[in-house]
Amino acid sequence: MNLLIRFVFSIVGIVLISGLPELVKGLLAGELQLKEYVLSIQSVLSNIWPIQDFAVFNIRTQRDILLFPTIAEYISYSLQILFLAFAAAVFFAMLFTVATMLLPEPARERIKSVLYFLESVPDLLVIMLAQLGVILIYQQTDVLISKIAVVGGDRIYWLPVLCLMLLPAIQLYRLSMLTFQEEERQMYVELARALGFSKAFIVLVHMFRNAVISVFFQSKKTLWFMLSNLFVLELMFNMPGIMLFMKDNISPEVFLVAVFSFFVPMFLVYSLGEWFFLRHYRGKEVG
Amino acid sequence: MWKRPYFIIGFGILAFFLIGSFVYEGLYGNVPKQTLFITENGRAIESPPLSPQWGHPLGTDQYGYDLFGKLMLGAKYTILSALAIAALRMLIAVPLGYLLGTYLQRQRTWISGLADSLHYVPLTLFASFVLYSVLWMPAEGFTTGMWERIGIQIVLMALLTVPIVAVLVGNEAALLSRQEYILASKVLGAGRWRIIRKHMYPQMREKLAVLYGQQVIETFIILAHLSLFDLFLGGTKVSYDPMFGDPPMSISYEWAGLFGSTFRYLQGAPWLPLFPVLFIALSILAVSLMLEGYLQSKNPKVKKKRKTPAEEDKVVEWNREQLREQMVRLKEKELL
Repeated sequence: MNLLIRFVFSIVGIVLISGLPELVKGLLAGELQLKEYVLSIQSVLSNIWPIQDFAVFNIRTQRDILLFPTIAEYISYSLQILFLAFAAAVFFAMLFTVATMLLPEPARERIKSVLYFLESVPDLLVIMLAQLGVILIYQQTDVLISKIAVVGGDRIYWLPVLCLMLLPAIQLYRLSMLTFQEEERQMYVELARALGFSKAFIVLVHMFRNAVISVFFQSKKTLWFMLSNLFVLELMFNMPGIMLFMKDNISPEVFLVAVFSFFVPMFLVYSLGEWFFLRHYRGKEVG
Repeated sequence: MWKRPYFIIGFGILAFFLIGSFVYEGLYGNVPKQTLFITENGRAIESPPLSPQWGHPLGTDQYGYDLFGKLMLGAKYTILSALAIAALRMLIAVPLGYLLGTYLQRQRTWISGLADSLHYVPLTLFASFVLYSVLWMPAEGFTTGMWERIGIQIVLMALLTVPIVAVLVGNEAALLSRQEYILASKVLGAGRWRIIRKHMYPQMREKLAVLYGQQVIETFIILAHLSLFDLFLGGTKVSYDPMFGDPPMSISYEWAGLFGSTFRYLQGAPWLPLFPVLFIALSILAVSLMLEGYLQSKNPKVKKKRKTPAEEDKVVEWNREQLREQMVRLKEKELL
């Protein structure tokens, strides 16, 4: 029930956002044009309704194209990259967390502070350094380890995924380190230690189970952060993804469709996760 | 706070950029040094963009303007607007958050659902979508002044994520309002306003400071991202000349614009896009250093006192003879 309310209101929010430029235009002219705002939302909704028939004007080909079969390909490519990178980020963050947890305290602090400052590297820099690195390696050794821009119809995967996962992985790592360290102070860890279980066993089996829930709920923000990065990534690698499509054909309708294409899978993942964790660990407080 | 090395380093970097920016403008005026050719023995050996060298530590752009000068001139726009955007956002969002956490407890579900929808919209895209009509120069030229546009941009960018920040603060306030001491002061007859002012605000001051720092960092990143759309701080100069049109240009020398208008030269002249981004990265680093220092000063780590071993008695190794001598001496003392 609660879920349904959130779903509905999220949709309402997205629709309200899609009309915002109209409102801003009005504000620039010095008046609050609420009427135009409502009208523009109405027109967007009525335009988009029979979704198979909706066409957008494409700047590159200079003619109208049908939105639906075309956009599906862009969406699937973007979502693939996004979720691949997210999965990789989660995997590496967890791996490093467990590894650091097994280290003694002083080493742990040092690693944490180094990674903390790495987090402040902007994504643009990561992408640019990756591209420059590929060029440099190519010049030196004549080995092209990956294409740095998409030309024509081909798709590149691993370099963009690597660029996209790096910063979220560090963010998630910091988050999960915090959770794990909090978990370490709990009574059951002490009990387990007193019973003679090894450190690795306690971290991997007992603490992991509890910490992963809280990390899951906080990872939503990371995914949001990745959305913005994805956009930059597509632009700099010239990848045929939904963000690039949106930039070329910007209109409230395309915006709406694109945002929904992220919203639905993300909402599904998080709702399923919430449902799963709540069912299994009902006793535990969920933050 | 002022004794923490992290904080001082971070503050130093930001202060260097800001003060340097104003000093540079005072010393050299607001046009950076221009070099058209480098000549050696009367022959031109390099034309712009010049690579980094002694006279131009960071190289020059394609028109021969010194990149270091441009970056210094631009520092004040970028840093000050990032600080202003985050500050304005906090000013609006924090009171709203408190309202949400205290007065509007019942309505919180649907309001946060509404704000949640923002989490599915890539922020950069949203910003560019909203700001396009402000910053892109129309064919007949701007009708607004540069400072006016910067002002509008600051307000709009601040407003963009107000709902998210407000909900965040609201959740925090709602958590706090379940604490026992707040219940106690309610029982004693404190009103909501008093609870906010006297209990919640002091309790959350540190968290708010951290939130502010994070917002500044986020703003830097969004500004850089926006420049990929050719939307620059203070407006984009667009040339509508169909034949010899210049690429879109930033009106001020702010960093995001310096990056956005040159990132296509990454292969040919990598210093052009690289240095502005590096400068942005440095400022972000400065902010996070300051945050870390601030946090350390508020929660000083209880340093584990290394137990200084109690003054040990000197162990003197005696050989047997010495031992006997000592024993004899002690005995004598005892006898005396």
